[in-house]
Amino acid sequence: MPLTLPADRAPTEPILAARGITKRFPGVLALDHVDFEVQAGDVHAVLGQNGAGKTTLMNILFGLVQPDEGALYLRGQRVHFRSPHDAIAQGIGMVHQTRRLVAAHTVLENIVLGHPRVRGFLNLRGARREVEALCNRYGFTVDLGARVWQLSEGERQWVEILKALYGGAKILILDEPTSVLTPPEVKTLLAGLQALVRDRGVTVLLVTHKLPVVMAASHRVTVFRSGSVVARLRTGEATEEILVQHMIGREVAFRTADRSAEAGRPLLHVEQVSAFNDRGLLALRDLSFSLRAGEVLGVAGVTGNGQEELAQVLAGLRPVTSGKVRFADRDVTHLSPLERWRMGVGYIPAERIEVASIAAFSLVENTALNYHFDPAFTPRGLLDDAGLDQLTRRILSAYNVKAPHQYARARHLSGGNLQRLILGRVLSRRPRLLIAHLPTQGLDVEATAFVRAKLLDARAEGAAVLLISEDLDEILSLSDWVAPIYEGRFVAVLLREQADSETVGAMMAGLQKEAGAR
Amino acid sequence: MWDLLARSLGASTIFLFAALGELVNQRSGVLNVGLEGLMLFGGTAAFITAQTTGSYPLGFLAGLTIGGLLGLAHGFFSITLRGDQVVSGMGLWILSFGLTTYLGSAYTGPLGLARIPSLMGLSPFFLVGVALVAITWLLIFRTSLGLAIRSAGENPAAAEASGISVVAIRYLCVTVGGVLAGLSGATYTLSYNPVWNYNFLMGWGFVSLALVFFSMWNPWILLAGASLFGIMWQLSLSPELVLPGVLSRYVWRTVPFAITIPILVVISTPWFRTRWGLAKPEALGRPYAKG
Repeated sequence: MPLTLPADRAPTEPILAARGITKRFPGVLALDHVDFEVQAGDVHAVLGQNGAGKTTLMNILFGLVQPDEGALYLRGQRVHFRSPHDAIAQGIGMVHQTRRLVAAHTVLENIVLGHPRVRGFLNLRGARREVEALCNRYGFTVDLGARVWQLSEGERQWVEILKALYGGAKILILDEPTSVLTPPEVKTLLAGLQALVRDRGVTVLLVTHKLPVVMAASHRVTVFRSGSVVARLRTGEATEEILVQHMIGREVAFRTADRSAEAGRPLLHVEQVSAFNDRGLLALRDLSFSLRAGEVLGVAGVTGNGQEELAQVLAGLRPVTSGKVRFADRDVTHLSPLERWRMGVGYIPAERIEVASIAAFSLVENTALNYHFDPAFTPRGLLDDAGLDQLTRRILSAYNVKAPHQYARARHLSGGNLQRLILGRVLSRRPRLLIAHLPTQGLDVEATAFVRAKLLDARAEGAAVLLISEDLDEILSLSDWVAPIYEGRFVAVLLREQADSETVGAMMAGLQKEAGAR
Repeated sequence: MWDLLARSLGASTIFLFAALGELVNQRSGVLNVGLEGLMLFGGTAAFITAQTTGSYPLGFLAGLTIGGLLGLAHGFFSITLRGDQVVSGMGLWILSFGLTTYLGSAYTGPLGLARIPSLMGLSPFFLVGVALVAITWLLIFRTSLGLAIRSAGENPAAAEASGISVVAIRYLCVTVGGVLAGLSGATYTLSYNPVWNYNFLMGWGFVSLALVFFSMWNPWILLAGASLFGIMWQLSLSPELVLPGVLSRYVWRTVPFAITIPILVVISTPWFRTRWGLAKPEALGRPYAKG
């Protein structure tokens, strides 16, 4: 339910305003004469697709990026932020999309880092008391002595919010705060933000591309599209449909799985597989399932319950401690990733930039990453440059990758375009088994719809698809079978018809198996 | 025996100064493998200045200044130009090696000044070194500036987002590191062994560099390591004092490296990292680009 504004509050002087902001990056006009205002005491949502300019504007408001044109006004006064230092001094705090915490330091050290009150010798005991008081008031529970690398993603985000508040922030900018959180963590976060606004008069800028978040938590919303502001609304007067239309300029239809397709013969058998994670703890415990050609098995779970290890075991990147993997009537447990690629396993890793691509390589070279072993592209042991060039161009057009040309570097592509390229590269091999780990994470509405449609196409062509996702709606709309994973085991493997979001959600949280499992 | 120990601690002092500077450097995320070059240049400048003016203080001042300037030069290449820190460091070493050989050849020979008095054979600089260890430890772990330095070396983006200027912090640290390397070189040529010869250090700087890794970036372990390495080094100079004829000096001289390599292996293991935390500054050697 949308929040209502305090009754008939008169339009006041905006606490923070940006006027006529223009910012160009090489080859891109990121912001085009943008006017933006925030009223004091609001949760103000900033909505837009990836690349719409939201983050750039927030970075300008925080002094991380300098605008080419335009000016900022704080409480009516013109201000210049040459660096975040200036913005922090004026009471602006920012929580970035990627965590800006020092993993090796304690929570408390991270919170006091850069604080003006902590000059000279560190008075950690005094700081601890103040931060604890802050925690108590808002009901956060964080172990201040823990090292940041030991915390979950949700806890880390709270550390950053605490840090901003401890730094005296009156205006808090949150960039995509919900993208890495589980549904309960999202609820806690939004409730906490509302408490901050209500009790402390903090103004919150919430950057997101998630409509439910906007509807649930904001007072006003500004919609961005391609570097311009296209709408300014009170959330109470908006609907999700209106916001989507502003955001993408037209309607988007999501395809869901057509369940009439005939399921084929069993292709993948996983028998009692156990494996360690990177920290040497057991991440998969006697996990078993089988998957037929032409089926999608959706693995639903909260990060860190063994999903990553499962994907890596199937791709051949992680050894098993016990158990067997059979693929196409062959024991592949100890086969290398390359041998599995040759047998028709396709893998889309979750880490688009770190694992699935090489940032400094051109798109052709990135395509070659899945073709360098293919005899068709290595005549006489040399890479077939012309063939790869042609293949890459085919992928770019078939998968709507927006890139200047096929020799552009992967690092210059946006997340959505890079994922289209990776998807095209893997699917063009016509894999018999496709492992898709978080294939739509961080993508905008349009790219998400595209990726999902392509996964369904692969299934229609007879591929077995293992879809690992944290987005329950995604799992439920694409899968034939739904497997909630909890602490390294499938709690159950449910037929889609028997799986509803409440049951699966409860199982993801560790609730035990009910009837209907196979 | 005391004589040998005192002499060893004199050698330890040279390692200690240089390694302490490098430790501060590396805590802020900048690797300077040209440490040997900074020491050579600082030592030569100190020697020439002391000999021509007849003044020790002026000699030390020259050594410290030259060390600081070379540290700044390394900072310019690695921080402002964001060049490869290893290449810049090696360049500084080769440059210093060549230039000091050219500039100093006319001064080859003993210093010719009254020796700096020692305390019962122990170099007074060793006590300065111990004091510097305490100060560095306090600075790094107990002050706000130290937290900023460690953050710049672990996660510069986080430090910048907290309102800390990574560039300023790193420049400060490379300069301090350079000054300490200059002090190390000056202590060598003015006190430990006041005779100039080309390439008089023959690897002391590289031992100091190894010592920083050995210390796991902790000043107190650095002090212990410097003492140990000093004894090993002294034994390599006069192996006949202990176990005469058993091992050649060149074997003794490899000992510091032979100890450092297994330590590097152990601290890189996942077991060590989970049990004892992350020892190596995460962003060490990586240039930082703002935004």
